[in-house]
This record gives sequence, C-alpha cells and structure tokens, in this order.
Amino acid sequence: MIEWLVEPFAYNFFLRSMLAGMLAGIGCAVLGVYVVWRGMAFVGDAIAHTILPGIVVAFMLGINAFIGALAAAVITALGIGLLSRRSRLKEDTAIGVVFSGLFALGILLLSKTGSYQDLTHILFGNILGVSWGDFWGVTIVIFIVMAFVLVFYKELLVTSFDPGHALAIGLSPELIRYGLLLLIALTVVTAIQTVGVVLVIALLVTPAATASLLARELPHIMLLGIVFSILSTIAGLYISFYVNVSSGASVVLALTAIFILVFLLAPGRGVLWKLVSRT
Amino acid sequence: MKKIICVLYVFFVLIGAGCTPSETSRHDAPEEIPEISPVQLADGEKLIVAATTSILGDVVGQVGGNLINLTVLIDHGRDPHSYEVTATELAVVETAHLVFINGFDLEETLLDTVRSVASGPIVPVSARIDPLGNEEDPAGENAYGTEEGPESHHHAQDPHVWMDPANVIIWAETIADILSEADPAHKSDYRANAEHYIAELIALDSYIRSQVEQISPDQRVLITDHNNLAYFARAYDFTILGTIAASLSTTSEPSAADIASLVNLIQDNDVPALFIGESASGSLRQLAETIAQETGEPIAILTIYTGALDLPGTPGETYLSMMRYNADQLRTGLGEP
Repeated sequence: MIEWLVEPFAYNFFLRSMLAGMLAGIGCAVLGVYVVWRGMAFVGDAIAHTILPGIVVAFMLGINAFIGALAAAVITALGIGLLSRRSRLKEDTAIGVVFSGLFALGILLLSKTGSYQDLTHILFGNILGVSWGDFWGVTIVIFIVMAFVLVFYKELLVTSFDPGHALAIGLSPELIRYGLLLLIALTVVTAIQTVGVVLVIALLVTPAATASLLARELPHIMLLGIVFSILSTIAGLYISFYVNVSSGASVVLALTAIFILVFLLAPGRGVLWKLVSRT
Repeated sequence: MKKIICVLYVFFVLIGAGCTPSETSRHDAPEEIPEISPVQLADGEKLIVAATTSILGDVVGQVGGNLINLTVLIDHGRDPHSYEVTATELAVVETAHLVFINGFDLEETLLDTVRSVASGPIVPVSARIDPLGNEEDPAGENAYGTEEGPESHHHAQDPHVWMDPANVIIWAETIADILSEADPAHKSDYRANAEHYIAELIALDSYIRSQVEQISPDQRVLITDHNNLAYFARAYDFTILGTIAASLSTTSEPSAADIASLVNLIQDNDVPALFIGESASGSLRQLAETIAQETGEPIAILTIYTGALDLPGTPGETYLSMMRYNADQLRTGLGEP
C-alpha cells in the first residue's frame, strides 16, 4: 500500500505538479468564493477564450505572447466591469458580449496569420509540465491574490453581500469589483500556462461551490474550498499516473465527484439527505 | 491608508505579471544537438528512448530496432497539435536516456512539458535540416498573400520536414549517430539498421518519382487543407496553389473571399483534385466539398497522410506505406485519367 502511494514520487515532475497544483488550487479556491457568490463563474472561461486576440496580436508584433494575453485579459476584465456597472447589464450578459466579441476578433486575426503553430492553445499548459521556474511564478501570483483578499477582506465582504450598505459607509463597490476582475484576469492567464485551461476554470468555481453547500460563514467556505481543492489535486494526479489518463481532466473530475457527493449528502441541504429525512 | 495599498497592489500585480512563466523560452532554445555521453548499461539492459510523434517514432524504431526500449508519446491517429500527455507517459520521459523531438516547435506545448521533465538529453532530429519558412514560399506566390511584415522571425519555420524522404534519410543518419554515442557497444548495429532503412527510403523516393512522372508538369499543382506539403512540393517539383485554411490552427476559418478566390483558382488552372489531410476536421472537408461543387467541374477530393501515422492495417501504418499511399493518391487525382 505504501509503495503504491510513494512510487509516483520517484519522479521529480510528480512532486512539482502536486505542489503547483495545490498552490494554484488554494489561490483559486479563495478567489472562487467571491466568483461563485457574485455570479462570475464564466469570467474564467471567457478570459481563457478572449486571450486569443491578445496572443495573435502579440505574435504579429513579435512580442511575448503572455504580454498579449495579459493585455487582452485586462481588457476583458475592464470591459465586463464597465458594461455591468451600476447594474445596467447583468454580469453574465456583459461576460457573454465581451467573450464572443473578443474571441471572434481573435478568429478573424488568426485566419490572416500564417503561423505553423496552433496559436489558440499556445499558452495552454499542462500541470505535469510545471518547471521550478513556473512554480515560483505561480507562488508569486497566488501570494498577490491572498494578500489582496486579506487586506481588503472587509471591503470584499461588504461589497459582495450588501453593496447598498457598502456605499452608505463610504466604500466603493465599483473599485473593489474592478480589483477582483483584474485579479481573476491575472490568475487565469498565469494558471492557464501552468495547470492548463481545463483545470483553471474548474478550480475557480467547483471547490467554492461545493464548500458553500456545507458552510455558511465566509472563512469556513474558504477553508473547505481549499481542502476540496487539495484533495482533488492529489486524487487526480494519482489517477492520471496509474490509469494513464489526462491529469488536468482527472483533477477536474475529482472536484466534480466531490461536488456531486456533497450535493446529494450534505446535512440539511443535500438532495438525498432531504429525501431520507422526510421519511 | 488603503488607497496607498491600492497603488502598491497594482504595482505588485504588474511585477507578478512580469515574473510569470513566459512561453518564449521555448522558441529561444537553439535547435542544436546536445552533447551525448555514453550511458552505462548493465548486461541485457537496453537504452530507454522516447520519441514525440508517431512518424518520428517509426523512424527511430527502424534504426534502433530491438536494441532500444522505445516509447512513442503521440501515438497512432492522435493529433499532434492538441495532444494531452499523461503522467504515465511522462514517467517514461523522465527515465528515458534519450528523448527525440521533431524540431521547429512542431509539438508546441508538449515541448515545454518534455523540456521540464526529461532528465536525459533532448535531441531535435531535424537539427541538420535547413528549414523552409514563410519567407521562402516554394510556390512563388501564396494564393492568400498572407501579410509578411514584422512577424517574420523564427516562428515561421515549417516543421513538416518528413514530407520529403530525403529529410528522413538525414533523420535516420542523425538517429544512428546519436544512438551510437549513447550506446557505443552497438554502434555497428545502429549503422547497419540505418543503412538498411535508408535503402528503403531511396526506393521510396524512386517510387514517388515514378508516380509523379505520370502527372504532366502543368498538372503538378496542390491545393490542400493546410500548408504542410512545402517540402514535398520542393522535392518533386509541385506548385502549392493554395490552402483552404491559412493557418494551422483548428480555429482559423477561411473568409468568403478566400473561398471565392480558391474557386476561381481551381477553374483558371483546371485543377482536377483537392487533397485533404487525414486529420482534417469535418468542417474543412465540407468546405472542400462546397468549393468543389461551386466550380461546376468534377473535382476529386482525396485524402492524404500528412501529420501522423494511422492504425495498423491501414495505408498509413508506417512512414513508408503512408508516403507510397500519398504518391498513389496524387497520381490518381492529377495524372492522366
């Protein structure tokens, strides 16, 4: 049994993937609490697509694709923020408009660039390919995320749960919202390169969603989200190793499996729980 | 106070952005063959070798034979541009004594992963081959006139070198050299295997020429789904008239103007056949059919193998059979009826 647990760690890449995955998972789970509560679940998916025009333009100008992607992600974040400010449009509407518009721009530009590589997934990394350099890069970004969430904890709390009261006490929900969107943009663009696109979208949403079925206090939701994230990363990587399947997908499926379990069995709110307690 | 933190925060975000992994490191890596030191092999122990693509794997297998323990990552029938490697496969990459890659960034993001995992030397087999690129258009005039301009730099190297058997001969020689350096005890075996395979490649070249000879020179025009036949065209004197998709990305789409100009091109040049790669998407095939219909002529739409080997039992099973099949298809489509 022990051998079975220890064998994958004979490989250096396994350890790095595990650490990077857990780190990214922690940062995304914390950020994800706000993403889920504020209905921004599609921002991650949107950014994963809207970085395309950024990459293509960067390619055409001969500059680093990551800069182009980050610029596009920031434009996406600000665009979503602008379109949905003061509740003119709902956030998911703004996301839909910006997402399709920028992605289409990307397709248009792409068809005019004669690259021998597929630029659409040039930045899509794989959690198994994390180098120590990448690892430190992820650490820095996650550190920034955690710092923001900690320093602006009260502001985020009030503006997320009671924007009217926030205004009354002199806070600016708008500023906080832009800050959150920019943070999501930075996290997504970084995490896409290290853990891949499949994983980053799920990490932002599923752990926090699962946790919110079980807890009601914000700190508890965050903690539970982190736990689920870490458990799924471990499970997914082991499965990928022994069953010879994609690692990113395995982690996401582990996250989803935990969600389904909790959804059915959560005390008080789980579907099966309620069924059983009624009888 | 919090306003100051806001400013600091934006500052740190930018620093964070600067520190994050960049993908250009892959492109700056030179296409050179690294130094190979002999590997200490126990009695009966074989060299552990990994190869990225199925075509490359075939050639490495021919030279290495059963003297090596070979694993091919992007196996038969899988698309090299969107391949997701698994942990099990990477375990082999980490323990491999040698990893062979195509070169010229063919494997894209898989390359980053391989580079950070491999403990042994990574060998780009195409290192001794002079690449073609966007700036050297063998057709003389790309039908779409893709804008050159500031982006023509080292990104624009065509990686599809294997479409010319002469390049695969260079591959075989390179592989034999590398294997011999890693495992000097079997040097003569590797050389012999390579020579045997090179003889077959020369026979393949003759066969292709014999098929091409049955196509009149003014009919040696190629319209394909993607731009991956440049090396073949140069070797056998074909002209690449145009491609349906301008870029290799599966997301790129031709415009209405592109389709119209392709239709005109086909009519003006009396092109009798279009050649679509095995792994082309359904939508591309449909586009090909639409274009063919639009011309009002009977245009054949023929499949060829360009990027990967196919399953055993199919014409695309090995490199040799795949190229013979391609030559036959070309003769069928463009030769005298």
